[in-house]
Amino acid sequence: MLAFLQVTLVGLVTGSLYGLFALGIVLVYRTTGVLNFAYGAIGAVCACFMYILLTGPHLNFWLACILALLFALVLGIVLERGFARPVLEAPIFTKAIATLALALVLQTVAQQVWPQLTSPVHFPTPFEGHALDIGGIYLSLIDLTVLIVTIVLTVSLNLFLSRTKLGIAMRATADGLSASRLMGVPVGLIFLFTWSLSALIAAIAGILLASEQGIIDVQFMDPVLLLAFVGAVLGGLDSLPGALIGGLLVGLADNLLALLLAGHSIGALAISDPGIRETLIFGGFILVLLLRPQGLLGRALLRRV
Amino acid sequence: MNIRKTTLTPLPAKALLSDQLHPAQRGSPSAALQRFSSAGRGWLVALGGLILLALLPTIYDQLFGSSAGFELHRITLIGIFILAALAQNILTGYAAQPSLGNAAFFGMGGYMLAWLTNDLNQPYWVGIVVAMLVSAVLGIIIGGPALRISGAHLAIATLGLVFLTRSLLDLWDTTAGRQSYDLNNLPQFLTDDHALYFMIFAVVTITLFALYHLLLSRVGRAWIAIRDSEAAAEAFGVNVTRYKLLAFMVSAILTGLAGALYATWGTTATSTMSSADQTIAFLTMIVIGGLGSISGSVLGAVFVGFLPLLLGQLPNPLTIGPMQIQISTLTTGIYALFLLLTLIFFPTGLSSLIERGRMQIAGRIARQGGTPS
Repeated sequence: MLAFLQVTLVGLVTGSLYGLFALGIVLVYRTTGVLNFAYGAIGAVCACFMYILLTGPHLNFWLACILALLFALVLGIVLERGFARPVLEAPIFTKAIATLALALVLQTVAQQVWPQLTSPVHFPTPFEGHALDIGGIYLSLIDLTVLIVTIVLTVSLNLFLSRTKLGIAMRATADGLSASRLMGVPVGLIFLFTWSLSALIAAIAGILLASEQGIIDVQFMDPVLLLAFVGAVLGGLDSLPGALIGGLLVGLADNLLALLLAGHSIGALAISDPGIRETLIFGGFILVLLLRPQGLLGRALLRRV
Repeated sequence: MNIRKTTLTPLPAKALLSDQLHPAQRGSPSAALQRFSSAGRGWLVALGGLILLALLPTIYDQLFGSSAGFELHRITLIGIFILAALAQNILTGYAAQPSLGNAAFFGMGGYMLAWLTNDLNQPYWVGIVVAMLVSAVLGIIIGGPALRISGAHLAIATLGLVFLTRSLLDLWDTTAGRQSYDLNNLPQFLTDDHALYFMIFAVVTITLFALYHLLLSRVGRAWIAIRDSEAAAEAFGVNVTRYKLLAFMVSAILTGLAGALYATWGTTATSTMSSADQTIAFLTMIVIGGLGSISGSVLGAVFVGFLPLLLGQLPNPLTIGPMQIQISTLTTGIYALFLLLTLIFFPTGLSSLIERGRMQIAGRIARQGGTPS
């Protein structure tokens, strides 16, 4: 029972990370119609920048963190102006493939600028070695931080989108581009802001993931990205709470399956293999989509004639 | 000459231009008809392409000497890519199903061929046919549920199928105690690079010919109607379910064939043939070439297959003035940069470039009162 609770807790932590990622993916998809496969690379580049600040000039952890987040905001602006704006009118597939190309370009540039990050290195944090003991269940300090950051970020994002003028303008843009433009919403600025915000979320998720794993390289976010996409689609791809719930479900499923399957094997095949786990998650995901094609919290598709 | 004169003079150049440049119009019946009327030139291009393909091995012999076989072998891969790109384009560009599941059939085709020729000792051709049949059945099985899911959801769900297939193939490899499935029983003549080249490009030519006619037929027009408006197609009596399933099946058969040929090409089938990277490569080909366009599939396959080869030819390290650049670590990035720039400047694909060029020539002819320069 204790093991189960422990694994559930860890599952919630990984799930929060997936959820944070899915949040950023959904934010950009809803507002600008881009399925952003470069999301992992954006987060990774920001986390790598922070690593360089930590190891090069030996900056304080929090100072480096703030600088990395500022870097993310600038990166978001640069990407929107240099990349997303020119392909704005392109078909959705063109945009999706373009983000894949963008991810490769970002990774190559990062590898050229920071050659020491081509292979995994240790990511130093002040959290290391600290853990809370809650009645036999252990919660490391970084895991606690992940949970708190996720909750704070989700709540503030929700408040921002529902209460502030800018947030409402963002939702209006997502609902109807031309209508909101006619209503006087500065659509261009909104796009700029959306990309910036999503890059910020990517950076936060990237830094948290690097701190949690303790290692970092240029491609360390790639395995997470696909599961984050599964979480985003599971939640409906147009709903922010859905994205978080989808991400949490994927994280929980990942960890609980690991507990259930550990040590078992069918014939020569060890089913505790991570590949099998991923397969089962995908299988379940397809089943959910068959039952609810619009995702868990997505709006049902309307067919207009 | 006469054909051009009669078809182009009655239409004002401007109307023709706007009609053809509209992205939604590409591949639509009217565009297809207009292209059909200039079939004379189309045949010339096709004939020229065939002659070039037939002469390429000889040219390579002259160019590369003793390594001609090796270079030809690398070029042959583009033929396999063309088949896979055509399959993806039927599904995504014509029937508008954003499925990312084609790599599943790709791997399955390769493994079926390996299984039949190696373990069951069947002749090569039986292996190819069974690989296509199994893919057809799988295509229908996957196409059924896919009818319920649409858009980005379908894309990610079918990507899941690719992972499932990869795990199954891995499982098969592990239980059989092997790393990958080597094809040891291939017919003798296929070990020759020239013979393989001619066989694969013969298959590509036949496929192109068959698809061209299929897309002009009732089936192709039904797919295009579904893509342009599903509700309208249904109202006009198109059996949407049937034609969508047909698209999944045809696409699966072609991808299975491409997978079997890929296994032949590399004399081994590996589970990485069913990977996200593979399926993304297929999608990249049709997006960069042009959705809903046969020539686009070919152009896209050439772009994805040939550009890395070309970049591999760059001297390493490259010296520009005082700078020395380690090019080998940059090739992926340069390739991606080319891809990105092409997508930004030609968002509807490279085939739109051809269309634009053709229309400019046509416009000039029409302005000059129908006298072709």
